[in-house]
Amino acid sequence: MVIDLDKCTGCGSCMVACQAENNVAPAEDGTNRIKTLNWMTVYQLSNGKTFPEHDTAYLPRPCMQCGKPSCVSVCPVVATAKDENGGIVSQITPRCIGCRYCMASCPYHARYFNWHDPVWPAGMEKTLTPDVSVRPRGVVEKCTFCHHRWQAAKDAAYAQNRDPMKLPEDAYQTACTKACPNGAITFGDVKNPAHKVHQLVKSPNAFRLLERLGTEPQVWYMSRREWVRRLGDNYLNNEITKG
Amino acid sequence: MFDRRDFLKFIGGGAVGTLATPVIWQGLDDVSIWTQNWPWIPRIDKGNNKNVYVRTTSKLCPSAAGLRVRLVNGRPVRALGDVDHPLSRGGLSALAAAEVQLLYSPARLRRPLKRSDDGTYVAISWDEAQSILTEKLAAAKAQKSLFCLSGDENGTMNEVLSALTARAGSNDFYMMPSDAQSTAAAWRAMGGTGRVGYDFANSDYVLAVGAGVLENWGPVVANRRAWGQARPADGKLAMRVAYAGPMQNNTAAGADLWLPVRPGADTAFLLGLVHELAASGSVPEGFAPLKDLAAKWDAEHAAAVAGIAPASIVRVAKELREAKAPLVIVGSETGQGCPAAPVILGIALNIMLGRLNRDGGMRALPVAAPALEQAMSYDRMMQQDFMAAAAAMAAGKRAAPALFLAYEANPVYAMPAPGVDKLIEDAGFSVSFSCFLDETARRCDLVLPAAMGLERFDDVVTPYGVGEAVYALSVPVARPLFEARAAGDVLLTCAANAEMKLGFSSYLNVLRAKVRRIGGVEWETLLKGECAVTRRVEPVLELALPMQILKEAAQAVPDKPAKGALAVATVTKRAFGTPDSGLPPFATKLVGKDIAGSALTARMNRATAEKAGLREGQMIRLSAGKASIPAKVVLFEGVAQDSVALAAGFGHTDFDSFNDGKGANVMRLFSVVEEPGTGLAVWSCPDVTVAKA
Repeated sequence: MVIDLDKCTGCGSCMVACQAENNVAPAEDGTNRIKTLNWMTVYQLSNGKTFPEHDTAYLPRPCMQCGKPSCVSVCPVVATAKDENGGIVSQITPRCIGCRYCMASCPYHARYFNWHDPVWPAGMEKTLTPDVSVRPRGVVEKCTFCHHRWQAAKDAAYAQNRDPMKLPEDAYQTACTKACPNGAITFGDVKNPAHKVHQLVKSPNAFRLLERLGTEPQVWYMSRREWVRRLGDNYLNNEITKG
Repeated sequence: MFDRRDFLKFIGGGAVGTLATPVIWQGLDDVSIWTQNWPWIPRIDKGNNKNVYVRTTSKLCPSAAGLRVRLVNGRPVRALGDVDHPLSRGGLSALAAAEVQLLYSPARLRRPLKRSDDGTYVAISWDEAQSILTEKLAAAKAQKSLFCLSGDENGTMNEVLSALTARAGSNDFYMMPSDAQSTAAAWRAMGGTGRVGYDFANSDYVLAVGAGVLENWGPVVANRRAWGQARPADGKLAMRVAYAGPMQNNTAAGADLWLPVRPGADTAFLLGLVHELAASGSVPEGFAPLKDLAAKWDAEHAAAVAGIAPASIVRVAKELREAKAPLVIVGSETGQGCPAAPVILGIALNIMLGRLNRDGGMRALPVAAPALEQAMSYDRMMQQDFMAAAAAMAAGKRAAPALFLAYEANPVYAMPAPGVDKLIEDAGFSVSFSCFLDETARRCDLVLPAAMGLERFDDVVTPYGVGEAVYALSVPVARPLFEARAAGDVLLTCAANAEMKLGFSSYLNVLRAKVRRIGGVEWETLLKGECAVTRRVEPVLELALPMQILKEAAQAVPDKPAKGALAVATVTKRAFGTPDSGLPPFATKLVGKDIAGSALTARMNRATAEKAGLREGQMIRLSAGKASIPAKVVLFEGVAQDSVALAAGFGHTDFDSFNDGKGANVMRLFSVVEEPGTGLAVWSCPDVTVAKA
């Protein structure tokens, strides 16, 4: 996934679409950061300057689906694993025992714990999609790059005798990607030269969050603004940013 | 004998045995799974499900985004984008994305309610409700006194309501105030034909003044799509946006340039631009008086009044001149209307730049004829001034209506003046056709549950701000929930029973007639989700600059706030809904720094806070006259000097658990003033005084 931070205007369409697609229950108090589940979270960035030099940007943060996921190595029950085929870090909620070790381990705060059973207002459970199971309390959940959509795309490819591992770009797109009116999110197979992301990640303006931790995240960000790129890691004052 | 050694052996053996046997671990695993499978957790429909996708257009979101609604076994589950729809091209606003789930909002009205003498509401049957409505319509007709207020921004329901009003012998049909009306007033004052459209998608440089073109203004989803496609992540930027407004909001975040023009100073900024453009080139015929008026508004003076740097005005003027297809859009931050004078200046700038009726510029769009004979024309609808009428009735200058009917409108929440409360109270009988039990419904004598946009047939006719005339149908994806009914059908039935026949037995037939009026497109094509689009423009032959209006506006630019006072900037996000939708349950997590705990945040920059003696986190009261609201200070450097940014859409009192107890209603601070020269009723928030709470 490549997210253009110069195009995100912080509207939150991606957050709403993700919540609806993945059957995350609505929260009455959405500002309670500890108890609220946001698989996709939009953060507001600041260049740290005072008025009128202040600049702002927004950063949508799904699960990074790290190449070297620190959450996978700490899970005592293998409820999470790195899928070698598509690269998605899976989260198997029936197996999760809720120890939250993975949450402590994730440097991106991309994992969320169900402190309570999900509550839908009467009747709203009729809008649950049949693709993503509802999680009970006591388990951790996170963005899965809409894994169910990938399954559906692969099934369709099998049915049509096409190679499921060589899907065309528009066959599998996440809910957040499709919801964004600005087109800030680009999604695809970074190893497939026909997909846009393959080219975008090579841009000098592309960076990943906390790259120096060695997690090899699969979500790249891009910005023409140096201060935005600088916020991607803990740079010392004299260090030069990438790009 | 069982001694200590045996005891230790037993414990040791027990420990090894525990580790070796699978019983404990399997038991724990089972316990962890089976203690999580509670029956109250909803199950999803596994297995082979029938998936159907229905194309429609959102009536809930003012952007009129095109949707594909996914139905699973006949139940709507997701609102998805529609790549082929001209009003969205695939994206979704945060509000449209939450629309399906909103069908089940706890605030949803379930059955007709009648108000008892003691103020409580009693559920009644539709038969009884319709007979009451019929009786009151007949009485209104006898007294020639029917007052209809519509919250529908762009559909043919407005024709039904205005025709009904006319049949009752009244002229009191109004729409909720919006930028569409301010723009229409400006265009009318200039002698323009047709209605104003902005061809955003084909522009290469858009200057937005007040109007949140990347967040909540006009056909925002389609415009954002065009903007995003014009700015590939690793390619050349083919469109730039400059935003002038007091808050570094979402539009400013995406814009290439933010001009922190202080609240109320739009006119000064625009006059500065007029000055710069006039100075560097020739002016169109008839524009000499405007050039004279702008003579003293050089960059230094205009910038000083607007609170920005003079270089910014020079830069924007230069960029507008050098762009191939520049476009100036003037609007309000709330979308609820602004004075006409700045809009006139914006239109004047478009003309000076040679962009009238050009691709990527300001286009005069055609208006289709009404489907109902007695319906008001679009022009007339735009001229009807709701606030002025409510104020006149509150002041006793006009008699209160025999029957007040609000359709999907929540003026008690959204309108600043107390006049609305009095209007409803003094009316002989009041009816609210609403989807939710909102603040307005709670004051009406009869509350009727309306079918939501996804549950009824309806249409979208050239929503405000589009660059070309568009017509789309909205189709039902589900039956109305509970006992909700499509308002159009109910009104046509009751009107016929009250001897006020409108010539149609059902709203569906009204829509068919409208499609015939639009012409050039088949009903069946529209039902499939296609839209009727035309690039046709109205020729604009004679335009005149209403100099008196502009002179008065130039003199009326408010001074900077006095010591101890702050100017108010409102922040509107599409995700927070409309006054009649409230904050959808699925959008509560989008509340950022707009609310802190249960308090509205008062965002200001550090210099402003220090000058006012305030610190981060402090609870304060902001007062304008007798009205005041509580807020919590939050420091944010993206706010103009001596200004405080307050989020609109909060402070609902009687909505549902997702809305109530959050923040305060910023509109309480606003009052209605008459714009000199146009007589237009406009919102104005005077500078607020701050008291520590």
